[in-house]
Amino acid sequence: MRRSSQIFDLIIGVGLIGVSGFAMLYFLVNERFEWIPEQVLELARDPEILKRPPAKKCSECHKIIYEAWKDSRHSISWTSETFIEASENRSKEKCLPCHIPQSVQGEKPSPRMDLRDEGIYCVSCHFIDNKMQGPYDLLAPPHPTFRNPDYVRSNFCGSCHQKTFKEWKATNVEDTCQDCHMPRKKSRLTQKAGFNLLHKKRWVGDHRFLHGEIKEKDVVMEPGWEENFFIISLKNQTIPHFVPTADNGDPRLYLYIKFFNEAGEEVDNAKEIIAPQQETALPYNKKMRYRYRLFDKIIKAEVQLKYQPAWSKEKSTLRTETVFR
Amino acid sequence: MSFLRILLIAAAFIFIGILPVHAKDMIVKEPPKSLSKYYPPESKQPKWIQQMHKMSTHFGGIFVNLKEKDYENVDVHADRLVEEYKKTSEMVPEWEDYFDIKAVEAFAAAAKTHDIAKAGKESGGLGKTCGKCHAEQEISVWAKFHWPSFHKIKVTDPISEKEVEFDDYMGSISTSFKGVTVNFGEGQYGRAAKALKVFKSRYMELKSTCSKCHATQDVKRFYVGQDADTSFAGLSQELNSEKPNPEKFWKNIGLLGKTGCKHCHLVHRTNSFIQKVWEQ
Ligand code: HEC
Ligand code: HEC
Ligand code: HEC
Ligand code: HEC
Ligand code: HEC
Ligand code: HEC
Ligand code: HEC
Ligand code: HEC
Repeated sequence: MRRSSQIFDLIIGVGLIGVSGFAMLYFLVNERFEWIPEQVLELARDPEILKRPPAKKCSECHKIIYEAWKDSRHSISWTSETFIEASENRSKEKCLPCHIPQSVQGEKPSPRMDLRDEGIYCVSCHFIDNKMQGPYDLLAPPHPTFRNPDYVRSNFCGSCHQKTFKEWKATNVEDTCQDCHMPRKKSRLTQKAGFNLLHKKRWVGDHRFLHGEIKEKDVVMEPGWEENFFIISLKNQTIPHFVPTADNGDPRLYLYIKFFNEAGEEVDNAKEIIAPQQETALPYNKKMRYRYRLFDKIIKAEVQLKYQPAWSKEKSTLRTETVFR
Repeated sequence: MSFLRILLIAAAFIFIGILPVHAKDMIVKEPPKSLSKYYPPESKQPKWIQQMHKMSTHFGGIFVNLKEKDYENVDVHADRLVEEYKKTSEMVPEWEDYFDIKAVEAFAAAAKTHDIAKAGKESGGLGKTCGKCHAEQEISVWAKFHWPSFHKIKVTDPISEKEVEFDDYMGSISTSFKGVTVNFGEGQYGRAAKALKVFKSRYMELKSTCSKCHATQDVKRFYVGQDADTSFAGLSQELNSEKPNPEKFWKNIGLLGKTGCKHCHLVHRTNSFIQKVWEQ
């Protein structure tokens, strides 16, 4: 009886020390990390992290971010079939800098020599001056970090998305690329069992670099008739850059229109290719009008809007509409 | 200043001063296969060019240091030149005969006497070996390794939406171009107007090809830019008017043919001709 209560006291005691120890450590790590001497930190450092390792290495701790990145186009910027084709089996030197960047720092990067299959990976975007740069002022025991406000600014993305960045800038919209393409969620930066609980929750940006979904509210379509003309307008209402937008890729919207007579026969048709490379993409917040002269008696038009991303040869249908006169 | 001048003189010597190729010998042959090892994609870096820069640096380095009377470095550059020259001579077996090891050794020995006149005289024999190879091979190497190939580019025909080879696409562009001019010549304005639509969409599709070789958008000001837009607008205006004006029509056709098709051909087709022969 007494023996078990002694054990009980011991457990409580150790527990209390443990909890307060954890609380102190938590406080130290999150709020007063500048108190921790450099020599102590040295013990926790993993020198491998600073040797420009593949992304897999970062996943030992940043598992969620790693998996999101794996799903992104950035992780396959070098192995993408369509890129390999367009760059003549990656022999065109002009095509390397942004697809296998050494280091992203606000201007067109230089191409790197090693680990090319990693494409645009963690080290390209975060490793500068022997530190992991990012949006936060924090303590990461395994590696040095440095807060750099550029990480939440569009010009960071503009290092490579140069044309899109210029388009965005001209709109004067405040939302940054990251706001829309890396939406933030309250979560932990690391998932290494045990250790992650030492760090408080923070906003984590979605490293899938979201893409590929143009919604009804984004591009508004208005068809109509006018004497012997069929008119249709498209307006990019929400996206503060051209739609589609590209640097060297060739994404497109296709607008197909079929005209029918009273007998229900298709008597004419028209097509528009809406593509940044052809300088026909939809500017922000401006209505683009397409006008077609009708030669026969038309009573019906069928309109279809399709999207083909830069990295695919397949189109997906965004909208179909039948318009009666 | 004098550094640059000496380098320029040395370079001019190698590239222009000696032209050991006669007109009848000017043959553009495909470079040997083994050279591919030193260019992307087989090599990450253009190693052949780097090797050239090494030799040329040591070559120039000898004269710069002779002038500055820095004889210690003259000797270093002389030794390194021999070393790099020998190394280069082993890189492409098919080109072995271009090299003359005796000539480089003789030049290095002359340089080591630290007599600038002697070195200048002995450099001639070595320079000739550089110059001969450049004159005979540089065009080929540029066509093969510096000019991307139009034959590996596919174009999506905007009418059929099928991917076609670039030269076949050029074929359909010129057919639709003729569709416009022939119909106009026959006074069939309605048909010419329809053909113009097809032709224009095919022409504008070319704008999507530039970014496969060019990493800047600026180039699109040429051939497919404002001038082409203006010509198309002019053509369309004539064809849609009650009584088209032939003079204006043909003027715009001429402009498009010249500032569009012809100028683009002059820049891009020379290499394409060479590559085509090699690829056959
Ligand atoms: C190092 C250059 C570089 C930087 C920096 C960069 N990107 Fe990219 N991005 C690319 C490349 C190259 C691709 C195309 C990859 C592929 O599909 O092959 C791409 C693709 C994308 C896509 C997908 C596009 C599509 O067609 O689906 C989005 C979205 C994107 N990036 C957003 C961003 C955002 C937001 C940022 C800034 C936080 C950013 N990128 C920073 C080079 C870069
Ligand atoms: C200044 C940076 C930059 C350079 C240089 C660059 N790209 Fe890209 N590339 C991008 C960005 C950003 C994207 C993503 C947006 C888009 O689709 O254009 C991209 C996307 C692509 C895509 C579509 C995605 C895919 O995987 O298919 C292709 C194809 C492509 N680039 C080919 C090229 C070729 C060919 C060159 C050389 C002529 C080149 N790129 C040079 C930045 C660059
Ligand atoms: C052994 C675990 C571990 C590994 C491996 C690791 N990190 Fe970290 N990293 C951390 C911890 C812990 C933090 C701080 C987390 C917190 O405070 O919430 C952090 C924070 C960061 C930050 C935020 C910096 C800032 O100031 O905003 C970046 C960026 C980062 N790491 C990048 C990387 C990259 C890139 C790699 C791979 C080359 C990597 N990390 C590998 C543990 C690790
Ligand atoms: C194209 C560049 C790019 C790549 C590739 C990239 N990141 Fe990031 N990373 C960013 C940007 C931009 C932010 C800031 C996001 C924000 O919060 O607005 C960021 C933020 C972070 C943060 C801080 C938390 C946050 O979201 O703010 C960590 C940790 C991090 N990245 C780790 C990684 C790791 C690990 C990888 C590889 C698996 C990686 N990053 C790949 C650009 C990149
Ligand atoms: C207000 C939100 C918003 C902002 C800000 C924004 N984008 Fe977008 N972006 C979108 C939407 C929505 C799409 C279309 C759907 C998609 O692909 O996700 C898109 C598409 C893209 C694409 C895909 C290419 C295509 O097919 O059109 C790229 C690349 C891109 N944006 C890059 C950027 C960059 C770089 C910035 C900053 C300069 C930026 N975006 C700013 C919302 C935004
Ligand atoms: C066996 C043939 C050969 C010999 C011998 C040769 N070269 Fe070259 N050199 C070339 C070729 C081929 C090129 C073009 C390479 C290219 O542009 O990819 C070239 C280019 C150069 C260039 C210009 C590099 C550039 O950046 O465009 C220099 C400088 C040069 N060579 C120096 C020399 C010197 C000095 C020698 C003699 C000591 C020499 N070469 C001997 C074949 C040769
Ligand atoms: C198969 C590759 C290829 C394609 C496709 C291509 N070019 Fe070029 N072009 C070149 C090369 C190589 C040069 C030599 C200079 C260089 O590398 O930029 C060049 C040179 C030029 C120049 C001379 C000025 C300069 O930038 O060097 C212009 C202008 C030009 N191209 C316009 C265009 C336009 C417009 C298109 C599309 C309609 C186009 N090119 C398509 C390969 C190509
Ligand atoms: C991108 C610039 C460019 C423009 C603009 C251009 N061409 Fe071409 N064209 C080329 C190139 C490059 C070739 C060589 C292709 C090859 O070697 O297979 C070519 C080849 C041709 C050929 C020969 C096709 C074959 O089978 O070899 C014809 C015919 C032709 N072009 C007609 C035209 C006409 C007509 C126009 C204007 C209406 C035009 N091109 C505009 C670049 C251009």
